[in-house]
Amino acid sequence: MKRELQNQVNALVLQVLFRGFRVLYKHDERVRKEMDAWKDGLTLKLVCGPGGAVLAMRKSERTGVAKLHRAQRTAITMRFKSVEGAFRVLTGQMSVSQAYAAHFFTLEGDIYQTMSFVRCVEYAEAYLFPRFWSRRILKEVPEKELSALRVYVLALLENGR
Amino acid sequence: MNYFEFTNPTKLCSGQGALDNLAYELEILGASHPMVLSDAMLEKIGTLKQVTDALSDVQIGRIFTDIPRDSSIETVNRIAKEYRDFGCDALVALGGGSVLDTAKGVRLLISQDADDLLELMGCECVPKGKPVPFVAIPTTAGTGSEATAVAVIKNPKLGIKMEYISQQLVPDTAILDPRMTATLPPRITASTGMDTLCHAIEAFSCLQKNPVSDAYAISAIELVRDNLLRAVRFGASRQARWAMANASFLAGAAFSNSMVGVVHAIGHALGGVCHVPHGDAMNILLPAGMMFNCKKCRDVYGELLLYLGGPELYGKTPKQKRARAAIEEVLRMRERLHRLTGLPVTLKEAGVDPAKFPEVARAALNDGAVIVNPRQVTYEAVIRILEVSYGN
Repeated sequence: MKRELQNQVNALVLQVLFRGFRVLYKHDERVRKEMDAWKDGLTLKLVCGPGGAVLAMRKSERTGVAKLHRAQRTAITMRFKSVEGAFRVLTGQMSVSQAYAAHFFTLEGDIYQTMSFVRCVEYAEAYLFPRFWSRRILKEVPEKELSALRVYVLALLENGR
Repeated sequence: MNYFEFTNPTKLCSGQGALDNLAYELEILGASHPMVLSDAMLEKIGTLKQVTDALSDVQIGRIFTDIPRDSSIETVNRIAKEYRDFGCDALVALGGGSVLDTAKGVRLLISQDADDLLELMGCECVPKGKPVPFVAIPTTAGTGSEATAVAVIKNPKLGIKMEYISQQLVPDTAILDPRMTATLPPRITASTGMDTLCHAIEAFSCLQKNPVSDAYAISAIELVRDNLLRAVRFGASRQARWAMANASFLAGAAFSNSMVGVVHAIGHALGGVCHVPHGDAMNILLPAGMMFNCKKCRDVYGELLLYLGGPELYGKTPKQKRARAAIEEVLRMRERLHRLTGLPVTLKEAGVDPAKFPEVARAALNDGAVIVNPRQVTYEAVIRILEVSYGN
């Protein structure tokens, strides 16, 4: 039951994260710069534990990222070892760096390209979590180029596909 | 951190005569046709012959010595093909970091039945495959590659050094024989020794640090402190050579489990873009990297003073000044090595063109090591570290 609930929360946060990426691609210069530098056609997948929620994306020139079918093979796959581990990261209990240090996920694909994706996640976290919360998990909280409230509102209006 | 993992399955054969056990070690690993990997220099100076002599009762499948200083994906793929063509059943790697990392790449390909190393990129994602017995015999005391789950291999097309992290890369056996490093010139002894020190310091201060990796890192630092200058001055000292070989192994095991940070990230980039030898880059960048991290690592560096400077210095240094004093100990060690061997202490001396800094910084930011660095690594921070290290 607890695991199922965590799974649902993970799926919800992945959806927010995806919409957040699209909003930030349009409104945060740093995120746009990172995504523009990704290899054309780059595909990425976040897998939240065995049988868990999945976010599969590809680089899109127009919107930064676009969704892919979860079963599609991707160039980069970050695979959490457990639903619980993914839940801790996606709910801001620990950062991606801390999760990496604790071996919570494995990575298939080019580490070099993944670092840019990690930076995008950290920028998104700075918007998605309150500042006092981000400070607990991020090494340094990046400055926001627009208000978090605006990001949330734009994310709600964003196409989630 | 409230969770950590630690692994070091490598059997260590260390000390005088260790190489004499090579044939036995291969036999108990179930190998009968090993492929021996080395480089042209080790062949020329007779080090390779010592190994083939130790294998006189073993049918060597193939000896491959055409491994460049910065081994590439193409080299690894080519050797794996030869391994199969010659019906080899084990790997013996004799050399420095490049040869050992090449062997790791070959092992990964053979064990996974793959042809191209690019297919196996990643971190902790490769499952256990076909067993490929693997013995590592380091000829430098620096990379610690004989004890790590990491291989750094160049991708010439992208001009970067790529990291592979997998338990499948860890050698079955490491042979540390002081004879293997006895002829190492003082300058290379100094450069590789500083690489060891850098591994240990970064392992002791990165986000992935844990009590077990700390123990390995501390032992390595103490051995470097007591033996590096001696190994540089008196290269024939077996005691000093052996101690440095052990230090290298210990530091390797430490950072294999706690990773390295900004100094290595920039060092890998400098190697890829400007071809600065890895040990030289570590020697040049370490103090600036420590100064950068000091904001977050004051207590950790303060503790390091005990191992870098000894108990007397630690005892008489006020707590708030210990971190700074630890960095000064590194600077002092570097200065002594510079006087003894001419080891460069600035990027200017190493012939780096400052116009390449932006390219180096961009590559460093994408190195896996920045993720566990205690302080957030930004483009501006890397540029600043490079500028300070250039000699400004």
